[in-house]
Amino acid sequence: MKRILVLFLAAVMLFGAAACSPSGQPANGGKTVIKVFSNLPDRTTGQGLVEQKIFDQYIAENPNVEIQVEALDDEAYKIKMKAYASGTSLPDLISVWGQPSFLDGYIDAGLIAELNPGDYSEYGFVEGSLAGFSKDGKLYGLPRNTDMIAFYYNQKLFSDNNWSIPTTYDELLALAPKIAATGISPVAMDGNDKWPISIFITDLLVKIGGTAYQPETLKAISGGDFSHPMYAEAARLLQDAYDANLFQPGFEQQDYGTAQNLFINGQAAMFYMGSWEMSMANNQEIDPEIRENIRAFTMPVVSGGVGVATDIAAWNGGGHSVIAKSPVKDEAVKLLNYIYKPENWTKIAWENNVCMSAQDFSQYKTGSETPVQLQLIDIFAGATSISGTTINDLGSADFKTKFEDLSQQISIKSITPEGAINALAD
Amino acid sequence: MTDKIKTKFSLGRGIIWVALTLFSAVQLFPLIWLIDFSFASNTEFFTSNLLIIPREIQWGNYPKAFTDGHFLLYLKNSLVVNTLAVAIVLALSICSAYAVTRMRWKFSQTAKNIILLGMMIPIHATLIPNYMIYDFLGVRDTLWSLLLPYVAFSLPQGLFLAASYMESVSKEIEEAAIIDGCGTFRLLGSVITPMMKSSLITVVIMTYLNNWNEFMMASTYLSTSKWKTLPFSILEFTGQYRANAAVQFAVMTLTAAPAILIYVLLSKHITKGVSMGAVKG
Repeated sequence: MKRILVLFLAAVMLFGAAACSPSGQPANGGKTVIKVFSNLPDRTTGQGLVEQKIFDQYIAENPNVEIQVEALDDEAYKIKMKAYASGTSLPDLISVWGQPSFLDGYIDAGLIAELNPGDYSEYGFVEGSLAGFSKDGKLYGLPRNTDMIAFYYNQKLFSDNNWSIPTTYDELLALAPKIAATGISPVAMDGNDKWPISIFITDLLVKIGGTAYQPETLKAISGGDFSHPMYAEAARLLQDAYDANLFQPGFEQQDYGTAQNLFINGQAAMFYMGSWEMSMANNQEIDPEIRENIRAFTMPVVSGGVGVATDIAAWNGGGHSVIAKSPVKDEAVKLLNYIYKPENWTKIAWENNVCMSAQDFSQYKTGSETPVQLQLIDIFAGATSISGTTINDLGSADFKTKFEDLSQQISIKSITPEGAINALAD
Repeated sequence: MTDKIKTKFSLGRGIIWVALTLFSAVQLFPLIWLIDFSFASNTEFFTSNLLIIPREIQWGNYPKAFTDGHFLLYLKNSLVVNTLAVAIVLALSICSAYAVTRMRWKFSQTAKNIILLGMMIPIHATLIPNYMIYDFLGVRDTLWSLLLPYVAFSLPQGLFLAASYMESVSKEIEEAAIIDGCGTFRLLGSVITPMMKSSLITVVIMTYLNNWNEFMMASTYLSTSKWKTLPFSILEFTGQYRANAAVQFAVMTLTAAPAILIYVLLSKHITKGVSMGAVKG
């Protein structure tokens, strides 16, 4: 028995040593290896597919380059990014969110390479889209897409029941009982992930305060003072939605997929989600009866609010940055610039109906756009102001957690608007 | 009279049968649900029905899980990592349990308590410090970066179970073995370990199942696909905002299969009282 034990321990050690010795450095045969850390783990659909397509194209054009992709989903990505930041071996090109809650810490730590804005003068970035990726006048990253929030609705359902598109928030709330009377939920809401509720609040703030939303909110966050009446008002309006049963029952526990499926299976008349979901209209798995009738409208105006219908909640969320200390920094910047050439990200993303890029995509219209896609472009093109980063992402990472938790509590009336404002001030 | 007994007997049996069938149905339901939904398409997923009959059986979910999910590579990695972790936890649990329950030394109880304290440390609190240590040692993204935390987090539980069981093993057997000329390791290997089989199998199952599904540490300490384990397969089907749930269910069915197999193979040992009869006569 003793011999067996000794043999076994020896085997374990040998195996370990064998597994340990060639520690992960791939033989690259003189190739430049660019390590990419991405928050798009699914490389076969959506934005992950677009990113991968561009990488494959880049490798084909530059045979001396190898691109190694490591991809994790958002939460795991953020934890791993912190781990990377505290270690010595960082990736070269990373996914980032152009929001202070994510980017500021890394910029302050000197991890993110500064980019030369002059390189992008011909790239057609939409005005203001680089703001979230800049700090103190310096540019640290490029935005992938323009996101805006909308109510997707089933046009046929609306016309069959003589429901009209609400033009005021009160009309929206008045519509809820009428829809509920037909046995379906008015609006499918992803309440479990919390951020959609925070976006809903942003949407209301834009309609209440108009263009004052962002400057006021930045001031409120830095001063810890949310006494401006628009915050309490937004919370009250959200609670009115709860009283009107605007969202499906138990929405605070239902996640993205559940909420979406209520809508695409006809169990909800509307779905509150970002513009990236315009691809629903092309999803062959969805019943054509519903798929072909998907349309969108934005948050209607609120009574007494300064914001008009064309002041919309839209922002530039995800993007890419280069690590300052990367041994292949120049190559990584080259790759970054390649990704954002308008004929790459913008064109491929638009043609695959994945998202609206943060660059001018008008020249890549295919003529086969779906009605909802055209509607969203029109809304965006006709906007008199856009909100920029949503309120939950305007502060630190801690603020984000706190705000999103509070949003959910407000939405189910487990806290009063005043209580929430006091909690934010702490 | 005999007839009466017979009916009573079969009625009792009937009730037991019904109760057991109901019980197993409830127990097995999540598994049936998992398999059922793994044949559905993504849009059929969220329904108010308990189970669904797919409009068209999506066999394609499985090949997709295999190829796009790198199932075989990750399965191999999971098997290697878990088997090694279980073996090391087992060896260390037995040795350390013997050291803290049988051997007399000044800090034996303190040592035991310190190891047991490990049960109270949340994994999330260790992620970044461990990452820095592995980075410093150069073992990041290797087998060790999984093996070390898996063993460390399973050891307290293993020691706890092994030590509490070892305390109940009668000292007379050990004394008899020592009188017969048995050394410490022989005593552990040939006398004590076989008697502790049932508690050790519990250690094996718990260690195996906990680590089989572990993802947070694996995703932090690994970068390349070389040692990635099965939970990563599920991730490959997660988009930025929503997931390809149907294929993920196929992956989960495939992932659950080996774990279920291990449980079925070992479960009978859990309830078996091994030390019974050892002190008899």
